[in-house]
Amino acid sequence: MSADVSDLSLVRRVQGGDKGAFDALVRKYQHKLVKLVMRYVRNPAEAEDIAQEAFIKAYRALPQFRGDSAFYTWLYRIAINTAKNAVVSRDRSPIEYNIDRSSDAAEESYDMQGRMKDSETPEGLVLTDEIRRTVNAAIEALPEDLKTAIVLRELDGLSYEEIAAAMDCPVGTVRSRIFRAREAIDRRLREVFEGGLGRTEDLG
Amino acid sequence: MNEELDSQLSAMFDNELPAAECELLARRLSRDEDLKARWSRYAAIGATIRAEGGLRLNSNLAVRVNNAISAEPAVVVAKAIEPSREKTRNATLRWLMPLGGVALAASVAAASILFLRYESPVPPVAQSLPATSNQTLVAKNAAPAAPDSYTVPKTLPRRSIVPSTQLANYVVAHSEFSSPVNRRNLLSAFMATESGTAGAPSGSDEPNEDVTDDAKSPH
Repeated sequence: MSADVSDLSLVRRVQGGDKGAFDALVRKYQHKLVKLVMRYVRNPAEAEDIAQEAFIKAYRALPQFRGDSAFYTWLYRIAINTAKNAVVSRDRSPIEYNIDRSSDAAEESYDMQGRMKDSETPEGLVLTDEIRRTVNAAIEALPEDLKTAIVLRELDGLSYEEIAAAMDCPVGTVRSRIFRAREAIDRRLREVFEGGLGRTEDLG
Repeated sequence: MNEELDSQLSAMFDNELPAAECELLARRLSRDEDLKARWSRYAAIGATIRAEGGLRLNSNLAVRVNNAISAEPAVVVAKAIEPSREKTRNATLRWLMPLGGVALAASVAAASILFLRYESPVPPVAQSLPATSNQTLVAKNAAPAAPDSYTVPKTLPRRSIVPSTQLANYVVAHSEFSSPVNRRNLLSAFMATESGTAGAPSGSDEPNEDVTDDAKSPH
């Protein structure tokens, strides 16, 4: 299976004039891109502004995208250049930190620093926390095989084939487990939004 | 919502859906807001599992980008080809390219025939018709006996540059399946045959008469 086949389908649609397909690409990669930009700027709001600029640049440059590399790799390069330029233009030094750190204390510390500079509303902060709590609780409630499959996929970035080898089951079973895990989590997540917390801002 | 569709969406999110299914789902995803919302939640689930601290999971970034590009002209790439069409085009090219080569080879062969027939000088009739050994001997013997006798060859009418249609068609058809060497041999044979047939009607009288006269004169 090509590593980029679904992204390429969406890219081809955008290249054919379908802006809705680009929206799908933005929704898929927005978190990863903001996280990437946050290596250069600490403030999440500023990182989002830079990510927005990177997405728009990518949209304008899409006619030149030929699919020689994966779409995300290409987008990644645009975002890094945009972030570096933003840092230079604002006369700031890039902030490097290890995004893979998993220490809760370090994460908490970072969150506090980021939030202190963030202009987000209190409702927005509450909603983000609620989403995190809901997702984490839903994952904890998953049967072990579903939890393992979704974690190997999302946290470790393994392909279905690699997960199948790791879990000693067919690829079709992996696909089914990941889908069922997502469905179980999504069911709870929808309740959060339908409950009113997500009324002011789109999750998109 | 259709469970199979959701399962496909999940696999597509992971870039694990077959290309043919991706095309159909990509079209639907770009238009269906419910499907897009689910797609967004899948992204948020992934970000939470990866413990991407500092991110605003309720960010309206996608809405902002969408608003910004709505003011932009649509991206239209002239060569934007959907994967299935691309495959079809490649398959077609795979068949057409050898046929194109054959057609080119046939054209070159036909042009060569026309060129050679037009450019080659009309061979002397005596040379074009192989003399028999007796005739040659007679001619050699007769030459000293009739020193004043010579024949001014008549100017033969120029042969038509248009080859025999039947033969030309045959050569063209043959060139599709033959190697260059075979094709050259066939062309040579064709030229020889054409020379013979073209020379016979117009030159058959005069050379024969000359030879006959030369041969008869001493006797």
